[in-house]
Amino acid sequence: MSDIATTSGGAAPSAAPSAARSGPAPRHRLWRLTQGAGLILGLYVLLYALYAYQQPRALDAYAIAALMNNTAPLALAAAGQTLVVLSRGFDLSIAGVISLCNVVLAVYPLEGPGGALLSMLLCLAIGGAVGAVNGWLVAYLRLQSIAATLATMIICQGIALVILNAPGGYVSEWIADELTGRLWGAVPVSGLAVAAVVGLWLLVRRTDYGVALYAIGADEPAAALSGVNVRRTRFITFVGAGMLYGLAGLMLSAQTATGNPNSGTPLLLLSFAAVALGGTSLSGGRGGLFASVVGAATLTLLQKVLFSSGVSSFYTGLFQGVVLIVAVVFSGLLTRIGERK
Amino acid sequence: MTAMNENPTSQARFQQSGDTRRSARISAETVSTLAVAILCVALLVGARFISPSLGSWSQVETVLVLGSFLVVLSFGQGLVILTGGLDLSLPAVATLGGILATNWVGASDPGAWYLLPLVLLACGCVGFLSAAGIVWLKVPPFIMTLAMSIIVSSLLLGYTKGTPRGAAPDAAVALMKGHLLGLPAPVVFLVAFVVLGWLFQSRSIFGRYLYAIGTNVEAARIAGAPVTAMRILPYVISAVSAGFAGLMLVGYSSGATLRMGDSYLLPSIAAVVIGGSSILGGRGTFLGTVGGAILLTTLGTIISAIGLEFGLRTIIEGAIVLVALLLLREELFQKLGSLWR
Repeated sequence: MSDIATTSGGAAPSAAPSAARSGPAPRHRLWRLTQGAGLILGLYVLLYALYAYQQPRALDAYAIAALMNNTAPLALAAAGQTLVVLSRGFDLSIAGVISLCNVVLAVYPLEGPGGALLSMLLCLAIGGAVGAVNGWLVAYLRLQSIAATLATMIICQGIALVILNAPGGYVSEWIADELTGRLWGAVPVSGLAVAAVVGLWLLVRRTDYGVALYAIGADEPAAALSGVNVRRTRFITFVGAGMLYGLAGLMLSAQTATGNPNSGTPLLLLSFAAVALGGTSLSGGRGGLFASVVGAATLTLLQKVLFSSGVSSFYTGLFQGVVLIVAVVFSGLLTRIGERK
Repeated sequence: MTAMNENPTSQARFQQSGDTRRSARISAETVSTLAVAILCVALLVGARFISPSLGSWSQVETVLVLGSFLVVLSFGQGLVILTGGLDLSLPAVATLGGILATNWVGASDPGAWYLLPLVLLACGCVGFLSAAGIVWLKVPPFIMTLAMSIIVSSLLLGYTKGTPRGAAPDAAVALMKGHLLGLPAPVVFLVAFVVLGWLFQSRSIFGRYLYAIGTNVEAARIAGAPVTAMRILPYVISAVSAGFAGLMLVGYSSGATLRMGDSYLLPSIAAVVIGGSSILGGRGTFLGTVGGAILLTTLGTIISAIGLEFGLRTIIEGAIVLVALLLLREELFQKLGSLWR
């Protein structure tokens, strides 16, 4: 999942839809840079250098693991959101699914490694089920995705409130300790989970489904005419996204170790911010999951850097908003320069 | 809200001339606006069976007063959606309006007559900044208004140091708590607002331009519409109306909080969508949106009057949004429309 792998891979799946739409796609280096995660990765490295300069201990295994633990929930949530955005949709149910998983884990804690595995399957099942409902509503009943997922989000929030009507409960100790810990004292488990998802995505992107996903996002009628099963692709996308939200809920629960029926709400808008920061086009068909993960990591790191610079936490949002606008303007500019050449 | 008639949809007849499906479309819009209105009345009357205290005239007044915030907010949201955008900064701007009103103006400041317009001007500036980013920097509306929302909230947090002070201006209190012509003042205001809003959106040249731009920007440009100005206008109006809703909220609850706008974001979108507008722009009427807003408020008050626990109430609300979306699907009305012919 190095930079080179994503930038060179970024051009391949998007070639099909853009070729279908407007002839051969321009192949400028700058243009390809924005397709992958180059821009946002550079920003992240820059920010991390600043962080390490302020806090010499930032390069400790402990500090890295702590940062990874903070990053993982938003990164996984943004990864799921990316899938839906690539298919030219919006998924608001993200907040509901994460809250629901968190509450279930806090009210029904399952101890031990076996319990943790079961909990993970439970989260995947919850996310997958909500995703299936979303997919059915959007792909088969043709509801507008933002409206349909708004409804499922409200329903999931309601179910979460029924299960646990106020913050409380305890997530099982095994999940809270092991999923936030380090393997062999060095590799953060939360980072591994995110890396596994990114690795899986790099494989999936090469499959027929991956190509179809980019194709329906870029130009749905063209994709349908070239034999893509639009409905099934869209359905699978929502289910996959839901399962990623489930994982995000699991990692969030591991990090907070307690239940809160509204725990997913702050991640709703931030997931869109991470996707946009990663350069994924909100009108579908362009971008990638890895870039969104780095976008999420950047938003999280920004909070840490601001905190260690002594900026009042009141103004975190000011910087997040400005970085978001600047990144989107800049990546749009690069794309336009690239397309002109 | 029974005053909805078929006039606004006859407007759509002219905008969509040339579309061979226009007869089906008109009937779809008329029917969905009427369906929402009938559903509102049926719910209010039907509520009597649940509890004798419901369905009375005083309950209608309560619904209209509580619904007035959402109507004002979703007027702006509806205009933005009409041009193919989305305004996520409404809650932040509403909070801005409320907090500036309590901080700058206070209870009985003799300068309120020029300070309150200044508050609305400040809100309008936020809308103008969003529009500037969207029109000139080409940032997608979703991202731009999201970023503005994060920025404004963070600035408000810093400005108030986390605890808003000050009292509601007398004018705002008079608007929300006073009586006029034997009716609560907010109800009179609501009727006036709905008439003005309807005149603006469906009867004025500005409204026509907005429909034209939402349907096809390039076509509107060629036809000589002032496209740039008309793409900026909705965001400014939306921000000013959000700021006004903030004033109303402050007048109603006699004080400002930092999260007072938060619960109105998703309802403002839901009201527009349930009212029969397309989230993609170019279609929908303000009367439909008003119906959507009143319907959501009616449901909210009835459900809270039943006395269910909060979680169950939330589930029912979500389910109702879903059912409304399913019932108001365009295809369904096209089918119904073709049956009548």
